[in-house]
Amino acid sequence: MREITYLEAVREALSQEMRENEDVFMLGEDIGVYGGAFGVSRGMLEEFGSERIRNTPISEAAISGTAVGAALTGMRPVLELQFSDFITIAMDNLVNQAAKIRYMYGGKGSVPMVLRTPSGSGTGAAAQHSQSLEAWVAHVPGLKVVQPSCGSDAKGLLKAAIDDNNPVVFYEHKTLYKTSDHVPEEAYSIPLGKADIKREGTDATIVATAAMVPKALEAASKLAEEGIETEVVDPRTLVPLDKETIVESVKKTGRLLVAHEAVKRGGFGGEIASTIAESEAFDFLDAPIMRLGGAEVPIPYNPNLEKATVPSVEDMIDSVKQMVHYDTWRENHG
Amino acid sequence: MANEIFMPKLSSTMEEGVILDWFKEEGDEIETGEPIFEIMTDKINIEVESYHDGILLKKYFHKDDTVPVNHVIGFIGEQGEEVPDTPPASDEESSADESSSPEQETAAPAQEPETEVSTEKVRATPAARAAAREKNVSLHNVSGSGPKGRIHKADVLSSGSQGKSTPLAEKMASHHGIDTKNVEGTGAGGKVMKNDINALLAESSENRPENVTESLRGVRKVTAERMADSSSTIPHVTMDFEVDMEQVIRLREALKSSVEKATGQKLSYNEIFVLAVSKALQRHPDINITYDKETITYHNEVNVGVAVAVEENLYVPVLKNTERKSLSMLADELKPLIFNTREGRIDSASMQGGTFTISNLGMFAIDSFTPIINKPQGAILGISRMKEVPVVKEGEVKVSSVTTFSLSFDHRVINGAPAAAFCTTLKNLLEEPYELLV
Repeated sequence: MREITYLEAVREALSQEMRENEDVFMLGEDIGVYGGAFGVSRGMLEEFGSERIRNTPISEAAISGTAVGAALTGMRPVLELQFSDFITIAMDNLVNQAAKIRYMYGGKGSVPMVLRTPSGSGTGAAAQHSQSLEAWVAHVPGLKVVQPSCGSDAKGLLKAAIDDNNPVVFYEHKTLYKTSDHVPEEAYSIPLGKADIKREGTDATIVATAAMVPKALEAASKLAEEGIETEVVDPRTLVPLDKETIVESVKKTGRLLVAHEAVKRGGFGGEIASTIAESEAFDFLDAPIMRLGGAEVPIPYNPNLEKATVPSVEDMIDSVKQMVHYDTWRENHG
Repeated sequence: MANEIFMPKLSSTMEEGVILDWFKEEGDEIETGEPIFEIMTDKINIEVESYHDGILLKKYFHKDDTVPVNHVIGFIGEQGEEVPDTPPASDEESSADESSSPEQETAAPAQEPETEVSTEKVRATPAARAAAREKNVSLHNVSGSGPKGRIHKADVLSSGSQGKSTPLAEKMASHHGIDTKNVEGTGAGGKVMKNDINALLAESSENRPENVTESLRGVRKVTAERMADSSSTIPHVTMDFEVDMEQVIRLREALKSSVEKATGQKLSYNEIFVLAVSKALQRHPDINITYDKETITYHNEVNVGVAVAVEENLYVPVLKNTERKSLSMLADELKPLIFNTREGRIDSASMQGGTFTISNLGMFAIDSFTPIINKPQGAILGISRMKEVPVVKEGEVKVSSVTTFSLSFDHRVINGAPAAAFCTTLKNLLEEPYELLV
């Protein structure tokens, strides 16, 4: 089976969509000859030309404003922000324009745009280029929020995002770009709002997002060596959130750990934990819900400190063991 | 005024007793001398009789509860009399110096009567609460395994069906995903026991029966403590000596019918051994001793204890004044004593006052062993199986039945030479049993 990288999967989804749909075009800083900050659009200028692969000035406000306007006129713009940290500069266009227009005009206009942007730490890019701010946009009604954890999901979700008639913020984790998995060649769509159970288990559920998903899978396989079967659920999209899959998983396992790279305080993990506490799964909880999130500090430049600010595989293993009340559990399971 | 029913103190060493069964319910009429309940002490099971006529007004403890001696178990009185809701402290407890009685506090009943409802909040997970609701179990009656005693679902499941299955069976069942409701119990009233679960598991070849764990109680607990105490505090020396049994065999054959005629009991080797040991001890008073608190007591009478295994328990009923008894008297006494011990009908008085102990493993394929001294006695005799071996007699090899005897003695108070002399006397008495008549 063909394996390609996450980065190639994103590029393949964009290219296939642009070949199919004349209205789709890209805009962003240095996405042309240079191929974008991480090389996602490398080679696309040659295929699609500078009309559809548009280099922009260094202004996230201008890029996002242009995209909103183009989308209102019927185009399907895909804009790239070099680092998701700079979404702060695009925030007014995103929050006050893109998210609101369809509601405010009673559905007479819509904003079918996708904001693609690399997020997260792990590359030594320091405090202003390493954040995970997805909770900010997830808070705003009218924006959809996607966080794929592997190439095959990224490809299908990006097609769904471009096909969607609403503004979608599409986060691509920097450290996942180089990971590979089996990605089908033909175009396909993964519906927004459908979580994926990446591994089945019976003793505890880890709901993990983006780069935390491979870590959760590693933790789960190590826990399995000790006999603890952990289910790993990847929501894939924060908005809309597939509550049903998460609730059902927790009903099955009775224990929930939420893990994301974003700072724990005010992070989306709180939303997932609350969802469970309010749901039918409450009566099935057999341990307090636990959250793992980033430390409450700006991401440090020092690589060791950078690593220490985000949850590790060991953190996840420890948390799950704590939840299954491991000492007692081990006695009983011999 | 209602009369208290106490946990009786049946021996000098008894500190607590376990209620095995109640014969009366609250409200039942009781006459003096009627058994009220059965208890198990460290030595025996016994029925406790009423000292009063009246109505059983209150039961503070349930079956399987452990109760300290002299603790109030219930009240007998007239219909309608008021009695306290909780058992009053016994005199011993209330008068005891607080600082010196931590042991008694822990020995006090841990389980509150079920009727008492605690208003304290229980720490339990939502899943545990849901399970408790579903099974109609009060969380107050469940002990939590989690941090700060938090009750988890498994705790409720393992305690929920008390009465219908044993906690051990419930625990095993939950590990294997078995619902005890679907298991046919072989215990009293269809109670599901561990063996029922094991039998079920054995049916599917993938599952092997669970290891069984249980806490030591009663006789086994006392046996364990005394064995460890004796083994670790007494310098044991064991001497093995072989006895040619030909004459003993002949003696038994010769006397069998007359003993049976006199007593209705069959003469066995045990009586001959007790007789020979008693005669030998009379000739060696320095072996027939007890040693306690730095004092050696030389006993005029010989009281021989005989070790009896009853299932997992070890009992040592004692034959008194054996030095004055004939073989038929011994048979007449020992046979019923052993029978009653096996039936669990022995009182603690019958197990006290021993000056020497015999442990006979002759029915097993044992050639010799080192018995552990039954404190405070000075020595114990182990007897192994009889077997035919070639022996040299007067320059000729003959086949003869031989048994190895093993004497363990307390070397603090008995030296090697007197012990060896005793062994030699015993060997001679058995090889020339006419000596027994002397």
